[in-house]
Amino acid sequence: MRLPAGVRDWLPHELARKREIEQQMRAVFGRWAYEEVQTPIIERFDVMERGLGEETAELLFQFNDRRSTALALRPEMTTPVARLVSTRMRETPLPLRLAYVAPVFRYYEQPQEGRMRELTQAGAELIGAPGIDADAETLFMAIEALDEIGLRDARFDINDARVVDGILAGVELDGEAAREAKEHMKTRNLVALRKFERPALVQFAQRRGGHEAIQAARGVCRTPESLVALDALDELLRRAGALGYESRVTVDFALLRELDYYTGFLFEGYVEEIGFSLCGGGRYDSLLPRFGFDVPAVGWTAGVERLLIALERRGKHVRRRRHRIDVLVAGSDVVAARERAAGNVVRYAGSDLGDEALLEEARAYEIPRVVIALNGTVRELRVGPRVGGLPAPRTPSNWDAR
Amino acid sequence: MSRPKAQPEAGLTIAMPKGALFAESAARLRSAGIEVPEDVGRRLTITTADGTTLLFLRPTDVPAYVEFGSADCGIVGKDVLWETDRNVAELADLGFGYCRLVVAGRRIDRYHEGAPFPTFLRVATKFTRSAETWFAERDLPVELIPLHGSVELSPLVGLADLIVDLVATGTTLREHDLVVVEEIGESTARFVVNPVRFRAKYDALVKLLERLSAVPA
Repeated sequence: MRLPAGVRDWLPHELARKREIEQQMRAVFGRWAYEEVQTPIIERFDVMERGLGEETAELLFQFNDRRSTALALRPEMTTPVARLVSTRMRETPLPLRLAYVAPVFRYYEQPQEGRMRELTQAGAELIGAPGIDADAETLFMAIEALDEIGLRDARFDINDARVVDGILAGVELDGEAAREAKEHMKTRNLVALRKFERPALVQFAQRRGGHEAIQAARGVCRTPESLVALDALDELLRRAGALGYESRVTVDFALLRELDYYTGFLFEGYVEEIGFSLCGGGRYDSLLPRFGFDVPAVGWTAGVERLLIALERRGKHVRRRRHRIDVLVAGSDVVAARERAAGNVVRYAGSDLGDEALLEEARAYEIPRVVIALNGTVRELRVGPRVGGLPAPRTPSNWDAR
Repeated sequence: MSRPKAQPEAGLTIAMPKGALFAESAARLRSAGIEVPEDVGRRLTITTADGTTLLFLRPTDVPAYVEFGSADCGIVGKDVLWETDRNVAELADLGFGYCRLVVAGRRIDRYHEGAPFPTFLRVATKFTRSAETWFAERDLPVELIPLHGSVELSPLVGLADLIVDLVATGTTLREHDLVVVEEIGESTARFVVNPVRFRAKYDALVKLLERLSAVPA
């Protein structure tokens, strides 16, 4: 009767909170004119590998169908959306604004809270839009979304994948050494970076800041692409400032995301008391070309369960919305149907229950009216306040949240 | 242009390893300005006058506390980082707690002089993940025998052909007529941080990093 490792059930009151967050995210996507899409949970393995690269493909739950076709559960939604767009929406005028709220699956060796094997991602993809306006749209939508769910102090670190390449060229590392250094940059392993004997590398891996950090980077970055990227980061900081976000957006040159398809702008959002990021995203201009459709794209995604953890850990439970019930009906399908037709939420009660039992049930579920239809007569009981000595409700309400 | 000050940062929570690394870790934190008491007795955690929270943990538990953000940062041996494979950022090599993770065998078996290993190796160790990785990288099939102490006994009584264990001075190996066959790696104490907390408490953590690094190793 046990569950497999790394997955969980959602009881009604838990799911209600999760759904509320999902609805808030959908509302934000809607306000930014993004339309929701859905793709299959199962994809062909080769399609996922084409998008994710070999290394990330290790995270896949994979299996064969009965004809030995290699299949996989999607570990993220960007690759399926890229596949969808490149195969089904090529004729749609660009740019495309698509959103999703969907379960994804990852084979983590050590699943734990915040790193479950099944998780829900809420994200948005802006496809066919190059440049800083699209990058800014992605970042500012993410900030608005976290504001919307009540994490108004969430902070966002930004970077550009091209800056790291510029730094590596600037300190004259290439080939295998550059690849290794980048990996250590990603994990911010300063001990390993010191072994390259390039002090600038270590400085960059620990440098975060604003315009002054970008200015310092200009002295080291050598590639034209990285200088363009630094200008773009500067501009993003300025635009964030104009929206009142200056204290919440910081440049972090060591920020590199796990998936290898990012080509430019990158960001992650987090709050102080949670040790993992809540959302993140970036530009992935090379992904759609892998599916034969040569258009740029940028996107972001949030982990819904992580957002829940963040809210719960700071005691800011999302308001508990238990399903509101308007009337408890006993003894008549016709009366119940009439109540439903009038727009009420109706709970059926057993027709063998006495008045006292019905009132008790009504109180337990906070139902204001009880209608009893027996032997051709229809009576309505008034549900009074609970009096002492009655049994405790089967579903206790959350007094903290009242 | 000056940037507005980030939100006030709460005091740091630091995961400290009990056991062999404790005294030196405490000394280094003290010289970095953190009031670690001389004697923590049986306490699991204390909060110092300046608001720093110290957690006293089994060394192998330090990476998990840091990875999940229950501690902002910690001090832990590199051997534990190899073994636990947790997602923490390694900011400084503190230099103390030197030891080597080695493959060792009986002198009489002459593996250290190039005698061929048995086709199917039995390897006893407390470091199962590190051992598994090391032998797998060499395409050597092994049967791992996880032990929890006195690993050096196992080859003497025929439980294992080889052991993977930490060696500080080599005295224990010599006493049991064991020799190092291969060195897997050198380990010292490391200052590690939670990757996201590094951003969230940047000023405090960089200050601590600089102070810990300033002390000559």
